[in-house]
Amino acid sequence: MIANPTDAKSESLTLDGKEVSFTPGETIYEVATRHRKRIPTLCYDERLEPFGGCRLCAVEVEGSRLPVASCTTKATPGMQIRTSTASVEKHRRTLLEMVASENREIDVDPLRGYASQELSTLLDRYDARTGRFAGAQSGSSRPDDDNPFILRDYDLCISCYRCVRVCAEQEGDHAISVMSRGFHTQITTEFEGLLKHSACTFCGQCVQTCPTGALADRKAMRFAHLSGETKQTRTICPYCGVGCSVDILTKDSTMVGVLPAMDGPANLGALCVKGQFAWDFVQHPDRLATPLVRGADGELQPTDWDTALDRAAEGFRKVVDEHGRHSVYAVASGRAPNEAGYLMQKFVRAGLGTNNVDNCSRA
Amino acid sequence: MTVTAIPTNHQLIEQCRTEPAPLLPLLHAFHERDGHLSEEALREIAGALKIPIAELFGDVTFYHHFAREPQGYGVPRVCTGPVCAHRGGLELLEALRETGARPMPCAGRCDEPVPVLRGGELLVGTAPRSLVTKPSPIPAPNPGGIEECVFAHIREPGRATLQGYRRTGGYEALERVVRSGAPADVLAAIADSKLAGRGGAGFPTGTKWTAVADAPGTPKSIVCNADEGEPGCFKDRALLDHDPHAVIEGMALAAYATGATRGFIYLRYEYPDTFGILAQAIADAEAAALLGDNVLGTDFTFRLYLRRGAGAYICGEEGSLLNSLEGKHPFPRNRPPFPVTHGYENLPTVVNNVETLAAATAIVRRGAEWYRGLGMNGQAGTKVISLSGDIRRPGNYEVPLGLPLETLLHQWAGGPEVGRAIQAVTMAGLSGGFLAGKDLDVTLDEPSIRSKGSFLGAGGIMVFDDRHDMIAVARDAMAFFAHESCGKCFPCRIGTQRITERLAGEAGPTDLSAWIDEVADLGQTMKAMSACGLGLAAPLITESLLKYFPKDVARHVERTGHDARGDR
Ligand SMILES: Cc1cc2nc3c(=O)[nH]c(=O)nc-3n(C[C@H](O)[C@H](O)[C@H](O)COP(=O)(O)O)c2cc1C
Ligand code: SF4
Ligand code: SF4
Ligand code: SF4
Ligand code: FES
Repeated sequence: MIANPTDAKSESLTLDGKEVSFTPGETIYEVATRHRKRIPTLCYDERLEPFGGCRLCAVEVEGSRLPVASCTTKATPGMQIRTSTASVEKHRRTLLEMVASENREIDVDPLRGYASQELSTLLDRYDARTGRFAGAQSGSSRPDDDNPFILRDYDLCISCYRCVRVCAEQEGDHAISVMSRGFHTQITTEFEGLLKHSACTFCGQCVQTCPTGALADRKAMRFAHLSGETKQTRTICPYCGVGCSVDILTKDSTMVGVLPAMDGPANLGALCVKGQFAWDFVQHPDRLATPLVRGADGELQPTDWDTALDRAAEGFRKVVDEHGRHSVYAVASGRAPNEAGYLMQKFVRAGLGTNNVDNCSRA
Repeated sequence: MTVTAIPTNHQLIEQCRTEPAPLLPLLHAFHERDGHLSEEALREIAGALKIPIAELFGDVTFYHHFAREPQGYGVPRVCTGPVCAHRGGLELLEALRETGARPMPCAGRCDEPVPVLRGGELLVGTAPRSLVTKPSPIPAPNPGGIEECVFAHIREPGRATLQGYRRTGGYEALERVVRSGAPADVLAAIADSKLAGRGGAGFPTGTKWTAVADAPGTPKSIVCNADEGEPGCFKDRALLDHDPHAVIEGMALAAYATGATRGFIYLRYEYPDTFGILAQAIADAEAAALLGDNVLGTDFTFRLYLRRGAGAYICGEEGSLLNSLEGKHPFPRNRPPFPVTHGYENLPTVVNNVETLAAATAIVRRGAEWYRGLGMNGQAGTKVISLSGDIRRPGNYEVPLGLPLETLLHQWAGGPEVGRAIQAVTMAGLSGGFLAGKDLDVTLDEPSIRSKGSFLGAGGIMVFDDRHDMIAVARDAMAFFAHESCGKCFPCRIGTQRITERLAGEAGPTDLSAWIDEVADLGQTMKAMSACGLGLAAPLITESLLKYFPKDVARHVERTGHDARGDR
């Protein structure tokens, strides 16, 4: 968690030759990022406990023989920190070249996921020489896992364990874990099974934190072949009253995916399976685009709203006249926000005169 | 007729559940009962200890010796470590193939090859029919006739029993200290003695104990690190097998001095006999009121628990060890904070090596000044060196710190076989890389050995005479580190793999300068950026190889190039 620099008393340290203040409890990485230092990371996700695996974030601290991982090391008063000396920059470049060497490919379609470009962006930034350190590749993809949501392309995995940690720390699902050790570590579910047989809820959080695209959004990937620029539009998930912020991805007029909004006030980057993956209805051919009423032949016919609403009102009135006001029962949609739910009960109670009203969220 | 009932799942779980650190004993109990860890067993355990099943599954796969296939528990594991590989280990593995035998890394019997682990038994021998169980070797009398510390009484008959230990003053130090009620005196004596950690890192023991005594938070713990996974190290085995009470007394003294009330011995899986010896020693000490509630009738309480690893070198690293004890994935922990404030269950904890604790007992009994005086050339105290490989008298030697290496090799241990010359020795087991040529003139102490770019560490020294292909020796060493890398941090996880591939001629440049460039870059980044001592130390192998054996490296790269082009 990023400490608020305005509360508690602040201390000072030296960051690349400049004295800066910090709040006790902040890590070196947090202090440095606040001061616009661009420290590279691959295992870091600010929503998670710092892990200290990729070591890219290591910085030099006066008095310490070796560079220290800035993500896990707390700032202390008087520290003298150098974030990008020639020596650490060289190690970072070497590390990136090492990581690149374990993967089948580096450049992946951005539709794979929110963080999928992190590795390739860093390789470009450090002008890393891919092709160095040739050797065996790590991670085995799971083409057998044919769930419709999450592609498990572990050939591209760099063992940062962000997926495992987001699943445990953010979701509390503990569906995936790290199997074996060393170069042979592999992301797995219990007994190496399919996601659908695990505790996975298909929220897609692992996909969105994966820095290489090893976990990818299968729904979005269906549109990878479409040409054209991808546009992002901020909106709110229509499914439930939590009101998670999402960024809708479109190419021309085609919706191609959903990204969680990391700054969404209700969700801070989290989504559930519905908000993340259940958007096919938007451009489904079966989707109703106009009101329909039944003709004399019993078949549904397109019509306009006035006609449809008159018809519905007529139906209600007829039922109430024939069977009394308690013959009507209304169920509000869980997708409706609080305000719509309120209107619904008002309509039922005041308009129809019955308390027969409920919400589908009642399990 | 007696029928031994097979314990039910429920009984196994109830035995362990209420004890601290229950996961490892529970896994071992199912493993031994069923011959493997079945899916059903893991689901039971996960449910009982409330560990998510995916996590438990991942944890179990981390350990080398937990078998997940039926009957896997009893399958022989043959040591193919750096010494055993050249003492018949590979041939024995081949001869046992039809039993499903599998290789295992150094099992700490380098002084008496080849160890074979079969279920709960440790056998030694070099042919399938000559495999026998036998007590591990007792250290030979000090060849230099020099006064010892931790080995001073180890050769006395019956020393491993409580009576044997008490015959020459055993537990008197504890009794005196507990009755005098002055923990600060113990802290002062340890600090004064200049005793430093004997597990590899050499941290001053007095500073560590004082930090735990001063740290807020209870209950505090004392952890004895008996994981001894470093290839070529077998000194802790000797101490625990033949003088277990000295280590237990050291733990109790540490507990009294720091205010700790519970202790754990974390013993490596490959020492099953030691497990039995320790279990007996703890039971005897408890029965004599030297451990447990109200030690010797005072209000000092110290409960000691024995736990077994399951085959993972990294679990000797203290953070990884603590995670393993706690039933978590055994990755090393980020430091700071250190175990002295955030150890077992995030509470103040002393983690000390077996030898450190045994030395502490002697120091409290005989005084700091006495201990300091045991060293040579301005060094304080002694160190046990496990010496093995191509040397006439392999074994554990307690040397005064500061003793010339040449004296140990040639005068004490008889030198190499007739007609052979020492090509190289390893330091710190494998972690210090090689010393060779002129640099063999070091003295056995950190300042001298560090000046050559290596370190003494836990004190394992393996000797390689002039028959060895040093490239192959280095390849096997790096393959060990790759096998044992935990996979937490990038530099070590990838670096150990890439260097192994290069030493094996499986991948990498075929041009010498490009080869050296890659290997040096990998090594430098590992040495600077790794998250723990494994990755920081592993590149010393290639660094020293390039320093002492540049011609061998050139020949290796040239040969690899020929093979790659197919022209031989
Ligand atoms: C990879 C690795 C393996 C280690 N294995 C052992 C071991 O087997 N036994 C041990 O006592 N210390 C081992 N250590 C050192 C411990 O982390 C720790 O420093 C030591 O147990 C502290 O005790 P001491 O101060 O008495 O030496 C290892 C360290 C590393 C990095
Ligand atoms: S799948 Fe992605 S997030 Fe998970 S460990 Fe691999 S690279 Fe990291
Ligand atoms: S349906 Fe899921 S993603 Fe959408 S708002 Fe509700 S919780 Fe958020
Ligand atoms: S250096 Fe190696 S063993 Fe240590 S944390 Fe990193 S990967 Fe694990
Ligand atoms: S971000 Fe600090 S180690 Fe990866």
